[in-house]
Amino acid sequence: MAKNTRGIEVAEIIADKCIACQICIGECPVGAIELNSAGVAEVDPEVCIGCGKCFDSCPVNAVKFEKKKRGKVSREKPVESGAGAPEHRGVAVFVETIDGRGAPVSWELIGKARELATRLNTKVLGFVPGSNVGEVAREAISYGCDEVHVVDDPRLARYLSATFGKALSDLCARIRPEILLIGATSLGRDLAGVVATRLETGLTADCTGLYIEQETGLLLMTRPTFGGNIMATIFCQHMRPQMSSVRPRVFAMPARDATRKGLITGHGFEPPAVELPEIVKFIPSGTEGAADIVEYPALVVAGRGACDQGSLELLEELAQLVGGVVACSRPVVQAGLLPYERQVGQTGRTVAPRLYIGVGVSGAVQHLVAIQGAGKIVAINSDPGAPIFRVADAGIVGEYRQVVPELIAQLKKRKI
Amino acid sequence: MEEIFDAAIVGAGPAGLSAACILADRGVKVIVLERGEYPGAKNMFGGVVYGHSLGRIIPDFAQKNCPMERNIVESRISYLSEQSSISLTYRDQAFFEQLQNNAFTVGRAKFDRWFADQARAKGALLVCSTVVTDLLKDGAGRVVGVKTDRAEGDLRARVVLLADGVNSPLAAKTGFRPEVGPQHVALAVKELIGLPEEVIDERFGVSAGNGVTNEILGNVTMEMNGVAFVYTNRRSISVGIGANLADFAKARVRPYEMIERFKTHPAIAPLIKDGKPLEYLAHWLPEGGFETVPKLFGDGFLIAGDSAMLFNAPHREGSNLAMASGRMAAQTVLEALQRGDFSSYGLRGYGERMAESFVLKDLKKYRRFSSLLENHRELFTTLPRGAAEAFREILTVDESPKKERLRGARKALWRGAAPLRLLRLMWDAWRAIR
Amino acid sequence: MHFAVCIKQVPDTAEVKIDPDTNTLVRAGIESMANPYDITALEEALRLKEKYGGKVSVLSMGPPQADIVLRQALSMGADQAVLLSDRAFAGADTLATSYTLSKAVETLSQVEPVDLVLCGKQAIDGDTAQTGPGIAARLGLAQFTYVIEVEWIDPEKRLLQVRRKVEGGFEVIRGPLPAMLSVELELATPRRASLPMLIDSLRAPIKIWDAGAIGASAARVGIKGSPTWVRAIASPQVHRAGPRWDAAQGVSAAVSEALDTLFSDQDFAAGFEKGWKA
Repeated sequence: MAKNTRGIEVAEIIADKCIACQICIGECPVGAIELNSAGVAEVDPEVCIGCGKCFDSCPVNAVKFEKKKRGKVSREKPVESGAGAPEHRGVAVFVETIDGRGAPVSWELIGKARELATRLNTKVLGFVPGSNVGEVAREAISYGCDEVHVVDDPRLARYLSATFGKALSDLCARIRPEILLIGATSLGRDLAGVVATRLETGLTADCTGLYIEQETGLLLMTRPTFGGNIMATIFCQHMRPQMSSVRPRVFAMPARDATRKGLITGHGFEPPAVELPEIVKFIPSGTEGAADIVEYPALVVAGRGACDQGSLELLEELAQLVGGVVACSRPVVQAGLLPYERQVGQTGRTVAPRLYIGVGVSGAVQHLVAIQGAGKIVAINSDPGAPIFRVADAGIVGEYRQVVPELIAQLKKRKI
Repeated sequence: MEEIFDAAIVGAGPAGLSAACILADRGVKVIVLERGEYPGAKNMFGGVVYGHSLGRIIPDFAQKNCPMERNIVESRISYLSEQSSISLTYRDQAFFEQLQNNAFTVGRAKFDRWFADQARAKGALLVCSTVVTDLLKDGAGRVVGVKTDRAEGDLRARVVLLADGVNSPLAAKTGFRPEVGPQHVALAVKELIGLPEEVIDERFGVSAGNGVTNEILGNVTMEMNGVAFVYTNRRSISVGIGANLADFAKARVRPYEMIERFKTHPAIAPLIKDGKPLEYLAHWLPEGGFETVPKLFGDGFLIAGDSAMLFNAPHREGSNLAMASGRMAAQTVLEALQRGDFSSYGLRGYGERMAESFVLKDLKKYRRFSSLLENHRELFTTLPRGAAEAFREILTVDESPKKERLRGARKALWRGAAPLRLLRLMWDAWRAIR
Repeated sequence: MHFAVCIKQVPDTAEVKIDPDTNTLVRAGIESMANPYDITALEEALRLKEKYGGKVSVLSMGPPQADIVLRQALSMGADQAVLLSDRAFAGADTLATSYTLSKAVETLSQVEPVDLVLCGKQAIDGDTAQTGPGIAARLGLAQFTYVIEVEWIDPEKRLLQVRRKVEGGFEVIRGPLPAMLSVELELATPRRASLPMLIDSLRAPIKIWDAGAIGASAARVGIKGSPTWVRAIASPQVHRAGPRWDAAQGVSAAVSEALDTLFSDQDFAAGFEKGWKA
């Protein structure tokens, strides 16, 4: 098997077998294959990610490729920091401030940063741009930062891409962290692209797993890609910081320790030399009915198999009984029965309730990825082959119209 | 100035695309209107394409990477009762070599897109996601174009080829074809079951790239007049079953239940064991035969393929009739363009061609076939079991004299159908295929 | 006003399934389509053009087959379409993509300055939502993400005001042109092309620009210009495979045994009894 310079075992095309049908060219997710002048498909080994799709699609078996089980990332003793960038040290977390308090996702990331920093023998850094954020900075230490770098300026009282983008990228340029983690809230997603572009570094968005590679000390970032059907492990070899954004509730909330000690350093703010937008007004959204599904400890999720108005009333009753709310998968939103905000799934929301009850949810991979943080998963589906049963702690094969009323009745008995 | 196309073709299936290829190849300004998001998106058939018919449109189809699944080297006909199957199998080495691609299976989405690409490469314009809602007619009732569901959706053409399939919404609206009665169509459902290529090779005893078709009759259609089939694709097996639509309505059988039951039949289950269902499709087949073929052309329009009810039920051939009729329609349009006459008279060559060709000759020959099945319900009810029991009698070895065995077999058969009824069936069958 | 809209061709993810046994995509019927968020951005650009005058240019980076999405854009009413297609663009991550697109916007601007770049909030295949901000940062454009309404544009004063979604509500924000908007689906419902426009779009020439045409540095596009690389791919692993009961064997028994299994976990049972309050 040929390897490319990044150590990926790439596909090769056997020239005399290739019939130039171009199927592989269409299948290749990264555009690594093209027809050469001889009319034979050719793989660019440097672009190839070794996914094997060309191998699967070739009608004449002209692709040489060996399928392998991917090894697990080992998690053992501390390793040296990422190669080639010794002047960059520390795992930094952008601490987002909402109404004068730190966003929970920032604390979750500090918890993860702690783990990464231990492996790298380095410090956890909190980056806090904002106005009157002293309390947030102290909280960041309680949650596990060793150092907190604050840019406290009234011009940062409200978020603007330009000002926060400048403040955070200036901090990175000064402190030189090797890793920067940003919570993938709407603010974080707005900010991350700006900072990565200003620093000309790599950004991996919406990661669901972060590890340090034993041999290289590089940050390995796992994220769903190609529509959530494939988990890709991504790394950033040369540029620093290695940036990653992570959605809320992907990582666990670390314990808060108010007695922790750490260093808080203030930095000045140099505003960008451009004309800035001006926020005319803020309109809080009417919270009635707009339940934020991620906040509930229990979710009853309607899927394609329970996609009718009648089902929702039934599920509502079940949801109230288990102390939760009704959410749904994509078909239910497409049918217009519930708003997009209620959708669980890759393009919707990642959830981690204590109890998840899927009713008529078949379990597209996007959906399964989004519920992997759930405590208990119960699946009710009439199709015994529904993928959701593979991830359920308990599954019931049957018509939901039969099963759910029975479930409600039995739960009521148990509650007494 | 409003643009006028030489030919507008409704429907990007085998019939429409065949015509489009031939017309575009001759520099005719042709547009194909397809309701699906892409050609093949809404289409379904059993899955067999015939090399000869395709070759008359695209001679070098194999070199042009036509997405063939498997070259058919073996054909089976099976007669199934609940627990048994009686089969006739024909395999010929010729189909591996000189007669390669006589028939081959295709995936509809891939094949239709490939076919459409050929038409486009020749210069045909293909407009998708566009539904033809009506025909444009002039004062004299001549067809002069089509209406579509898009804004400014009228499109003028010198001639319109209707190739929009058996359940053409245009048919009812324009009356160009008498409304199809439920007794003249079959409702077929098909499931695509994914399996590794080698597993399919092994189960059907074929080498890589070659495959088998299996047509199935018997009481698998739950006493309705219908047939089932199993075809091999490269990495999947098409399992289908269908029955007369009127029977479906009468028997209140749900098609997906019927296919689920069919899949568990002891002769079928081992073929698809451990397979993954990939797709489930439903479709009508125009099984009415010769009597239901409408007038094939009129002032400014022609009809081809399933739209014209062109389907050879006993041989389960459809795609070749579609391609051949599309081809002949195109040849007729070429003549009409030369003469500038698009009237019914100017297009009469289509009727002549079709009458002279295998298309109508075959349909005419088998015109009694549908009434044969209709009149001999025992084929789907009692006869399968009778036939199976007769074979069982003959093949059970228990030291009883063969004379007794044969008598038992005869009795078993007669339980399936009384002697006179059997004679009648044989006579009718002979007449139907004579 | 010159509006530039960036459109990505994506697989129709609703139809994509994975076979957990072989780890391969089940491709039956998978189609490519224009990213719906980007088509919404185009629709808004067309409406703004109708209101304020000007011209709409669309850009897409991809293989030659990506011309389909550009033809769709032309059929809806875009004035010109450019396909950024070059062997060297392959394998781009968001940084290289935003570089390439920003160079293309610059190239468009040489003929007629671009006032507003419109992008979809995110692509439905990658979900990263980073390309728009990347383009804005490179070109020094004012950045407005999650836009749900363009309230007004003042071409004289070179200002615009938009309504955007933020955490906990909406924000009305006013800023200078040129600017970059990344839009939400609720901003506009894309129009359906008329038949003549659709026919014209199928015949229209599509400009193809390679790296040279947009003056892009070879080291900054495609895989070479991408700091992030893929090390490995795998099927998502989310297996638990707990027990399963068939309601056909008795609904009551199935539910009761399923609940017993759940409540055999003491922590869970306790949490449930307390209504999940710690």
